[in-house]
Amino acid sequence: MADLALTSGTAMPREGVAARQTRGFGTILVAWMLMLPAIVTYVLMILLPLVVVLALAFTDYEFGAPGFRFIGLDNFAEMLGDRTFGASIRNTLVYSLFVVPLSIGIALLLAVLIEAGARGRAFFRAVFFLPVVSLTVAMATAWQYLLHPSIGPLNAVLRDLGLGTPNWLGASEWVLVSLGFIGVWENVGFNLVLFLAGLTAIPRDLYAAAEIDGVRSGWSKFWLVTWPMLGPTLLFVLIITMTRAIRVFDTVQTLTQGGPNNASEVLLRTIYQEAFHYFRFGYSAAVTLVFLAIVLALMLVQTRLIDRRVHYG
Amino acid sequence: MSIEMNITRRHTLALLGGASAGLFMPAIARANVTEISAHYSMPAIFQPAQEAVLAAFSAKHPEVKVTYVNPTPTYEDGAQLLLRNATTGNMPDVSFQGLNRLRMFAERGIAVDLTPMLAQLGDPVEFGYSKPILGLGFHGGMQAGLAFATSNPISYYNVDLFKKAGLNPDAFPTTWDGVIENAQKIRALGNGVDGMFFRWPGDDWMFSALLYGHGGRMLNEAETEVAFNGAEGLAALTLLDRFVKEGGMPNYAGTADLQAFAAGQLGMMFRTTAQVRSIANSVGTNFELRTTTLPVIDPVKGRLPTGGAGAMITTKDAARQEAAFKFIKFATSAEGTALMAQNTGYVPCNQIAIDDPQYLGEFYAQNPLFQAATKQVHLMQPWYAFPGQNSVRVTQVMVDNLARIIEQKATPEVVLADMATEVSKLIPRK
Repeated sequence: MADLALTSGTAMPREGVAARQTRGFGTILVAWMLMLPAIVTYVLMILLPLVVVLALAFTDYEFGAPGFRFIGLDNFAEMLGDRTFGASIRNTLVYSLFVVPLSIGIALLLAVLIEAGARGRAFFRAVFFLPVVSLTVAMATAWQYLLHPSIGPLNAVLRDLGLGTPNWLGASEWVLVSLGFIGVWENVGFNLVLFLAGLTAIPRDLYAAAEIDGVRSGWSKFWLVTWPMLGPTLLFVLIITMTRAIRVFDTVQTLTQGGPNNASEVLLRTIYQEAFHYFRFGYSAAVTLVFLAIVLALMLVQTRLIDRRVHYG
Repeated sequence: MSIEMNITRRHTLALLGGASAGLFMPAIARANVTEISAHYSMPAIFQPAQEAVLAAFSAKHPEVKVTYVNPTPTYEDGAQLLLRNATTGNMPDVSFQGLNRLRMFAERGIAVDLTPMLAQLGDPVEFGYSKPILGLGFHGGMQAGLAFATSNPISYYNVDLFKKAGLNPDAFPTTWDGVIENAQKIRALGNGVDGMFFRWPGDDWMFSALLYGHGGRMLNEAETEVAFNGAEGLAALTLLDRFVKEGGMPNYAGTADLQAFAAGQLGMMFRTTAQVRSIANSVGTNFELRTTTLPVIDPVKGRLPTGGAGAMITTKDAARQEAAFKFIKFATSAEGTALMAQNTGYVPCNQIAIDDPQYLGEFYAQNPLFQAATKQVHLMQPWYAFPGQNSVRVTQVMVDNLARIIEQKATPEVVLADMATEVSKLIPRK
């Protein structure tokens, strides 16, 4: 995001110098005027709060307290020994490693199947997209009922089959898996639609050419044409899914409140809890910085390393 | 402000000379009105009560005009609102806050000490403010607030399941041993039916019921060291352990216990009386619901924690403080507390209303479910609020450790030791 601001801030005047003789001052002014709303909003809504968070992270500020002290790196030192923070980093990682590959894999499979199918494309697209447009908090209530240990339909079926009835949201062994499945369910539809768009963009004649070259089986067609051509879409889906997974909050907050014993505590909930439950704004700001650093690092790795390998042209 | 403006207007009117008496009179009446604003949380529970109290107050005290600011959905949001306004200004003059948060407001200099105002009343006991009732609002060395609506933990049970399991619904066990025995019998009905659930997650409130029940306390008198790590604390944790081991207590997350209970799949449930109304609504006619007092642990030393809301004054202006005190005094009077109790089902916070049947006798006769909590009033002591900046965090550490017992991952002895170490780190060193 900082990149964006820099390029929009520096590139324009440079271009302006080159164009001054031909286009004149008016054009440049118009350009700046047009950008002004975006720049103002960006500074007010993103840059300024970020600076405040950055500053708060080095203080012991508590919500409502009359003042605060600068405490250097104490907040970060506290994180190292904080059991809850450790658990929340670990759980966010496990959750993401579960949700990202599964929701991308399943979405890709479904997209290829729907694309290859002759009928009902719109129907299946709508069915799988429904979870995306439904309100997560409301759906969480439905999940709570479905996964209820004693009155839930899932366990009723398992009981009838004579199988064990795990406490899906109450047992620390199961809670992340359950939340992970809900996460996959939420993300598949969104990814599916993106993949479908990517699939329609692949030129038909590539498949025809492949066939002439002797590519017969569906798998070979997928592997030699579809997969490489889907590269840019895949990168985009990967970035979107990763940020969505790292940002998981509402299902955790409504279903498990991070419990039992931090077994489902995640980063965003820790930030929320520290700030608005314990009122420790300084510490919460420090955790927010860690969260931002992780997101930024992921973005950099993805754009720098993978971006180069998926764009042909 | 408003007084001044009205006086100016009156002068203007007088100068005009032609003003009729009819125009004049309301201006005089309004001249003495002090306007104050009040704030409360959880409108779903408190709105009818607050409105009833305000209507009765306005009829009696036309000289004070109270306006409610938008109520906040939870106590937590309410605390946030006040802390936010403490930094930005625009604070309501009166605020109803969770009783266990009064300490934070006292420590941060937001709540005004009510001691001098109470002193003007003479003997507070004559107003129904008994010592234990005042104690609920006494925090950080000052009278930070007055209890407005209180709750304590009670027992809810499913009469139909009792009968099915061959138990007598008229004789609810008075000891936890009896509860565990009943739980086993109800569980034996099978088909996913559970015997009991003790609402330990969320916060330390229900755990403190077991601790206080044994006569224990959270920290020592000087608040320098943990005091729950003795025999009482161990007994409390052992009881929790037995609920799971012997009573087969399931590990319900979130509100799963309420859902199971309403579906008729849970025999006994132990949680706050504050939910009587909503639980009765969700049960409907599925089965016969009854409530009763919590089983007694130590008949002499045993106590129960108090939840609920207290009224505090935040304005530093003398005239507004006087008006604000009139309002909260009325809200916590026998008349005010009776209106509150009838509209919420919470426990009345005025001894006169508790003792004199003219206030609530008829209400309890018609609503027996609400009676269990009132029978325990003499056992109530404040829900302990930990000192210092980690006040709320401590409670989470306790809940996290309790989860280890519920999941049977650690023994009560180990959990007690860990809990003591972790809490010690979070309380201020003196």
